[in-house]
Amino acid sequence: MSTAQKNTYWRSLNELSQNDEYKQFVTREFQENATELTDGYSRRNFLQIMGASIALAGFAACRKPIQHILPYSKQPEHVVPGNPLYYASAMPFNGSVTGLLVETHEGRPTKVEGNDLHPDSLGGTSILHQAAILDLYDPDRSRNIMKGGESQSVESFVAFCAEFFTADKRVAVLSEATSSQTVARLKSSFTARFAKSTWVTYEPFGEENALLGTQTAFGKKRRAITHYDKANVVVSFDADFMSPGPDSVRASKLFAKARTVRSTDDTMNRLYVVESNYSLTGSNAEHRIRVKSSEVAQVVYALAAEVGAAGFEGYTNAYSSHDMLKAMAADLRAQNGAAAVLAGDDQPANVHAAVAAINVAIGAVGTGVTYSSLPFADETNQHAAFSTLMSDLKAGAYDALVIVGANPVYSAPADLDVKGALTAVGNVIHVATHMDETSAALGSNGWHVNRTHFLEAWGDGLSYTGAASVIQPMIQPLFGALSEIEVLNTVVTGTFTPGHDLVKQTWGTADWRQILHDGLRTGSAFGADAVRMSADAGQVIRDGATNAVVVDGIELVRKPDSKIFDGRFANNGWLMELPDPITKITWDNVALMSPATAARYGVEFPRASILRAPADEEPMVAITANGTTVELAIWVVPGHADDSITVYSGFGRTHSGRVGSGQGVDIRGLFASASPLFTSGTVSNSANTYSIASTQDHHSMEGRPFIREATLVAYKANPTFAPKMVKVPGPIDENGQAISLFNEQTFPEREPQWGMTIDLNACTGCGVCTIACQAENNIPVIGKSEVRRGREMHWIRVDRYFNGDVNGNPQIVHQPIPCMHCELAPCEQVCPVAATTHSDDGLNQMTYNRCIGTRYCSNNCPFKVRRFNFFNYPKTFLTEGTDPEVVQMAMNPDVTVRFRGVIEKCTYCVQRLSRAKIETKRQTDSLKPKDGTVKTACQQACPSDAIYFGDLTDNASVVAQTKRNERNYLLLEELNIRPRTSYMAKLRNPNDATA
Amino acid sequence: MAQLFPEWSNRVPRLVLVGSVLLVTSIVFFFYHFGSHEYLEVGYAPKQPIDYSHRLHAGELGIDCRYCHGSVEVSAVASVPSTQTCMNCHAQVLPDSPKLALLHESWETGAPIEWVKVHDTPDYVKFDHSAHVNVGVGCASCHGRVDRMEVVMQAEPMNMAWCLDCHNNPGPNLRPVDQVTNMSWVAPKNQFELAAEIISKKNIAPPIYCNACHY
Repeated sequence: MSTAQKNTYWRSLNELSQNDEYKQFVTREFQENATELTDGYSRRNFLQIMGASIALAGFAACRKPIQHILPYSKQPEHVVPGNPLYYASAMPFNGSVTGLLVETHEGRPTKVEGNDLHPDSLGGTSILHQAAILDLYDPDRSRNIMKGGESQSVESFVAFCAEFFTADKRVAVLSEATSSQTVARLKSSFTARFAKSTWVTYEPFGEENALLGTQTAFGKKRRAITHYDKANVVVSFDADFMSPGPDSVRASKLFAKARTVRSTDDTMNRLYVVESNYSLTGSNAEHRIRVKSSEVAQVVYALAAEVGAAGFEGYTNAYSSHDMLKAMAADLRAQNGAAAVLAGDDQPANVHAAVAAINVAIGAVGTGVTYSSLPFADETNQHAAFSTLMSDLKAGAYDALVIVGANPVYSAPADLDVKGALTAVGNVIHVATHMDETSAALGSNGWHVNRTHFLEAWGDGLSYTGAASVIQPMIQPLFGALSEIEVLNTVVTGTFTPGHDLVKQTWGTADWRQILHDGLRTGSAFGADAVRMSADAGQVIRDGATNAVVVDGIELVRKPDSKIFDGRFANNGWLMELPDPITKITWDNVALMSPATAARYGVEFPRASILRAPADEEPMVAITANGTTVELAIWVVPGHADDSITVYSGFGRTHSGRVGSGQGVDIRGLFASASPLFTSGTVSNSANTYSIASTQDHHSMEGRPFIREATLVAYKANPTFAPKMVKVPGPIDENGQAISLFNEQTFPEREPQWGMTIDLNACTGCGVCTIACQAENNIPVIGKSEVRRGREMHWIRVDRYFNGDVNGNPQIVHQPIPCMHCELAPCEQVCPVAATTHSDDGLNQMTYNRCIGTRYCSNNCPFKVRRFNFFNYPKTFLTEGTDPEVVQMAMNPDVTVRFRGVIEKCTYCVQRLSRAKIETKRQTDSLKPKDGTVKTACQQACPSDAIYFGDLTDNASVVAQTKRNERNYLLLEELNIRPRTSYMAKLRNPNDATA
Repeated sequence: MAQLFPEWSNRVPRLVLVGSVLLVTSIVFFFYHFGSHEYLEVGYAPKQPIDYSHRLHAGELGIDCRYCHGSVEVSAVASVPSTQTCMNCHAQVLPDSPKLALLHESWETGAPIEWVKVHDTPDYVKFDHSAHVNVGVGCASCHGRVDRMEVVMQAEPMNMAWCLDCHNNPGPNLRPVDQVTNMSWVAPKNQFELAAEIISKKNIAPPIYCNACHY
């Protein structure tokens, strides 16, 4: 390992500068005050959303507490007590559904997995799917239909609808984006029934701009579907296609597939990203151009001219001479259509039109990109329709408004005055899972209808690529809620029909059982339209380009949060506490800016010279735009565009629930409806400071060579670069292993022997492994102040390393770190009570009931993967509060809920291994499950197939093959601890022409 | 000056010494015995909501264990039968018995019968029935002669040492798999050879590492 590289990777600016703050921080295994009970329960009481155990009664008697067994009265078919069942369903999000497989224990959904048969899941999931379980069991969900502050029965709601919604009424519907076929059916009967009606789709971060762009280019709204597996070169303009979204799972799967390198004969794709904020997608790019968000469009237009897109003949702007642009254009043209260009949903419509023109020009249409018309798309501009609707409502043009799912009072730009419109119309029906800001703003004639979660209601929808999918409920509605189709049907017909019947009416009976089994109508997909650009379209796009606005000076950019999106997932503790993939911040939003921009506001580099804030607090800035001022903490992101400040929406909720309310700052007021993505504003220093819980320095492994990467060319020249980076000192025994002073706790004769490989080339750093692990292993949420003390409980964390010039455009590498299951584990040597030992099948096992909490093991773990229960989180969260039973239902019954004072850590999902071994033994008398039958939770959830797990004694197993791969390397191999988890070095495929 | 301490006080140190040894021994014995699973657990026979007699059903009538505990071969839990299983017979047999009032009530209302758990391992212990009955560990080996119990009673201590006794040496508790539910099965004279044969045929290597049961 050369010293040069050793010093190149850093996780924070403090680490890079090796300042006193950092040194103090990392020398302590547990942070200062970590063991003190200074934190009362009040702070964490709102976290009652977490975790449950089955029995937590006291020890009043000598005998343990009496437990009861409650068998079914009439046992449902197929239910075998103790064995989970899996049902296909789908999660709707932002206008598309993703196919899922839901694990249920005795009728109680506990875990969500991807559906292998579904073309938009392909077996993978995103963090939103994994966290859906916790949303279902959110005790803050609305429990009643409410009118004017009084709870109402379903019958009285139906009676109201029957009486009120007569054919002469003027009714408007404001709906979240939905692709549901049943909603589409109800929409047409809605339009036919009322004297005057309108239906507006509203999404704060929807695809309307993208659709309007293709409307300009091709004359009709069409969705651009990128075929990442067929594109050798992908250029993304501010499109963060890997962050959780309607298409992120499929995109990550196919993108990773196109990057899979198993031998020096393989090739891989290349990704260019043009963006302002460092996004997850940007962190996976070969080449990243950092420009202000308002200037991304300029780069698009320059590229359009460079590749000869229609209408851009002779066009030039400031970026036309950018050296990367020419290389990018040449690279795109050289692929003969096996390329794709895409733009972020929030970029203006004209950018999308220009991107379409580029795709046409480079011949990518039909190969790298296809354009499909959407059956549910409304050709009118929905942004305009939304603001028209608001003014119409205020003008009294409608008798009633039905809002389905959306929360416009919180999420819509303030200048549209949604609240005023609601007050004006009076008769509003708001269908929402929570008593949110919009429901709270209803007047005395407003109805709040508590909405079902998708895991408890029938529904349907189309996936991003058009697979017709059915949403199948796993459980009866917990709080007697109604689904959106039931409410819409009641409004239209005046009678109540169960959701199942409504969906069945849409789908008919043919193949119904097979469709339910698969979760979709196999083979259904959007057709690829034969698109051509009209002669005029090019000119229109070029005119748009000429008139494009660029923000001079500081620009403010609004982005959806990487976890809680527009705030709809704000009450989900798992998502709130998941570190952001780039900043590693939990629980908050900040003002993200580059080091150069931060320097203007008194934050200088290195951090030791910060003058305005105490050591563990961040200085704040006051940002003013559109007549609103908000104060946000400054967070320096190397690689962020200069003169640009990115703020995440979704925070500062007032009516979210005990987790989401009051967390972070609401930035909505800064942006007007005319320019929702970026705006100009004034920024000034604030005297205030703010404490942020960022995990980027937690569990630091202090600069050791964990990340190994090379370019594809360098790898082909030297395939074994990664394992050769470190020399293992000392004599070697007959097995080729370094000699150990300790007793070897391995049982090579026993089968199976479990092992894991993580392919850094495939890992995008999205963090779904963390959430999947949390859901599978009953890991508690601990709250912001506890995270600040370094107590976060995640068993698998994703370390993010920067590499390169801090003031320039550094690259990022993500590295998931679970327990390494070392064969000669340092933790085992120091446990005084043998609570952590080795199992016959090679697991470093943690026995909770033996642990006395000395934490020596954690001190001695070089990877910092052990977690300590500083409090009895389960007792607090699962047995106190209004109805702990609801939260208890989210727990996996196969995993022990841990008590205060014990260490816990990754087990390789031993409960799954155990189940697989017993099952295999029962069927074949062998203890070796077939390769692929057992997957860890992180592996199963991973949308980019970065994690391989299996039996090392089976030479044919995928994991054994990856262990033999030349890029395979061990962390801290020189310590001779022999980790069972190994890594495959990262590869990048930069364009030589830019070198 | 008179003696401060009478003569018998010379014996006090000796008495204290002997006394404390006795005291410590008895405290240790007290907890060892009265705190043991053998004392606390064995013989535990709580009253159940319905006076169900295993002696009648499993013993005299000879109903196989698996008729009611149907998931024992495929699941971790043996499962307590649903009301429906009882009603298979009791819709015809003794339909009016007052002892079965609760059963009929459950059948009509759908409310479950709250049976009291007898064999209760801590939550951090994962015991899997299917892993045991499919390799020839008999029901009676752990649950005793249930066919002779009027009220079900815990027959074995079910502590970790007891588990490990068998995991270290499974031979004495193995029988042909088809005899697993046979309550009156007695080990033959050649049990040693029989067990060796089952062990090799079924590939039995009981795990004794922690994660086998604790996770």
